Amino acid sequence: MSNDRGFIPPLKVDTLTILPLLDGDTLRVAMSGAVEMRDPGEVLNPYWTLIDDEALRQNLKIVELDVRDLNFMNSSGILTLVRWITRCKSHGSGYGLVLQYDRNVTWQRSSIPTLAKLAPNVVVSAEIDG
Amino acid sequence: MITERLSSDYVEMRFGPRWTYISCVRRFVASFFMIGLSDKERAEQISMAASELLENAVKYASEEEGYLKISIAKADNEVDVCVKNKAEPHHINTLRRELALIQSGQPEAVYLKKMEEAAMTEGQSRLGLIRILFEAGARLRLEVNDGEVSIHAIFKLEAA
Repeated sequence: MSNDRGFIPPLKVDTLTILPLLDGDTLRVAMSGAVEMRDPGEVLNPYWTLIDDEALRQNLKIVELDVRDLNFMNSSGILTLVRWITRCKSHGSGYGLVLQYDRNVTWQRSSIPTLAKLAPNVVVSAEIDG
Repeated sequence: MITERLSSDYVEMRFGPRWTYISCVRRFVASFFMIGLSDKERAEQISMAASELLENAVKYASEEEGYLKISIAKADNEVDVCVKNKAEPHHINTLRRELALIQSGQPEAVYLKKMEEAAMTEGQSRLGLIRILFEAGARLRLEVNDGEVSIHAIFKLEAA
């Protein structure tokens, strides 16, 4: 999926779009649309694994996952993030994962800070107004 | 899909349990309660609960019909989101155990524990019910009648 330069391609499936952008030693990953498919793990688990592998390979300091434009994520989608966080936690001295969310979106305000509690040493939630 | 506004007290929908209907129902429920309650947060919590319960119904229903009823009990100041479907006995037993488990502890601790367990296993997330309980702050109730399962997510509304 990634090329020699480690560039991670965007992902577009159903109503979901994910755009990764490398900015120095930070990878910014913007999600938009909705995660509402029956088995989001089919596409998201390998995609998060790819990002995780690349982040480690390129010694990135931070991966920012921006969900502010994601209007809904079902519990199966939440599970894909739980799997990523669990993987991230197991690396020890890997990158930090920042989960950016909009405090005005109910599902984001309730789900994202809880996810960050799974691995407080490597994952932080960043609340943004809008 | 047939949508019927039967009275000012409840909305009822019956439809073939197709995955593609769920997002449409979620958006409808959110808009409906946004107008009815003038409370965006509560409307989004109710629509999330309806969506998660319908996802479960589509995954585990044994027959080709989904049923959603959302009642507004004005006297009790409550909204009751009910999804009903036929289910196989082993699915009903799993559901009973699941519900007993998630109601046995402090919701956030149970949610985090369920997340950690789910990450270690393959298959379905089984996070939908605890998500409704913890994130939306709803009470959950299960009724089983002749192979028909009704799950209720009950929301307390702010006093007017």
